[in-house]
Amino acid sequence: MDDTDKAILNRIQSDFPVSSRPYAVIADEFGISEDEVINRVQQLKLTGIIRRIGGNFVPGKLGYVSTLCAGKVPKNKIETFAKEVNQYTGVTHNYVRENDYNVWFTFIAPSMELIKKYLAEISLKTGVTDIINLPATHVFKIKAHFNL
Amino acid sequence: MFSDLERKIIALIQGDMPVEKHPYQVIAEKIGVAEETVLSVLKDLCDSGIIRRFGATLRHQKSGFNANAMIAWKVDEGRVEEVGKLMAAFDQVSHCYRRNPGKDWPYNLYTMVHAVDEASCRKIAGNISEKTKVDNYEILFSRKELKKTSMQYFDDDPDF
Repeated sequence: MDDTDKAILNRIQSDFPVSSRPYAVIADEFGISEDEVINRVQQLKLTGIIRRIGGNFVPGKLGYVSTLCAGKVPKNKIETFAKEVNQYTGVTHNYVRENDYNVWFTFIAPSMELIKKYLAEISLKTGVTDIINLPATHVFKIKAHFNL
Repeated sequence: MFSDLERKIIALIQGDMPVEKHPYQVIAEKIGVAEETVLSVLKDLCDSGIIRRFGATLRHQKSGFNANAMIAWKVDEGRVEEVGKLMAAFDQVSHCYRRNPGKDWPYNLYTMVHAVDEASCRKIAGNISEKTKVDNYEILFSRKELKKTSMQYFDDDPDF
């Protein structure tokens, strides 16, 4: 990753151009060719630095609710618990963390009732009954831009 | 709440857009509308804040931020507003939320911290604690990623 790659990444993290030829817009700003920008971005995706390019939404504005959940899962059950939890499309992030509550996942769905129903299903299928549900009541910050 | 066209466009830009000269033309062709229509709807979705951020999402681990920690803080409710703002002001804090505590889980403020290694995360937690005078907290390092994906809104999954 050279300085041009870093500059491109800083440029396209929060404000990807919404215009007919977005890579030409960036190319103009940096004084390089459109093809070079495209090649570099393709390379950054191939090497895995860019996960995806697209929109990130505020769930509430689309009529969805979101929450953070954590389960106390016996070590030998983590894999089956994760498999059960991950099959819900509304579970977007799921991590093992070091704590008694050791499996932490985010859940997005059209209503909290639905999320509670899903959590009950998960408990029933996995035997893990200790799952906390911690919906956010106030957002102080969401930053997903990392200066490189 | 959303028109058919908006829902279709949202469904097509919530994943990964193709890297090519005319990415919006590709989307327009899939829906069967003009490219200008896609551009104008997208701009509206960005301007209205429905799209919080439009662009590239990076893998932190591959861009030098090797450690991520969620820090759960127990803060007096009367200080939550003040402390939340102080925490959010830290550059290393990417997310800061107030959440209701759970039954045997007393923490009510949550920050995500990204840094080069775990020692740095601990140090940042210490700095935040010093600045906010909140000393009851739990650092939860991620040990394994079990899933990380983007939400599929308006899809036809039977779950919904």
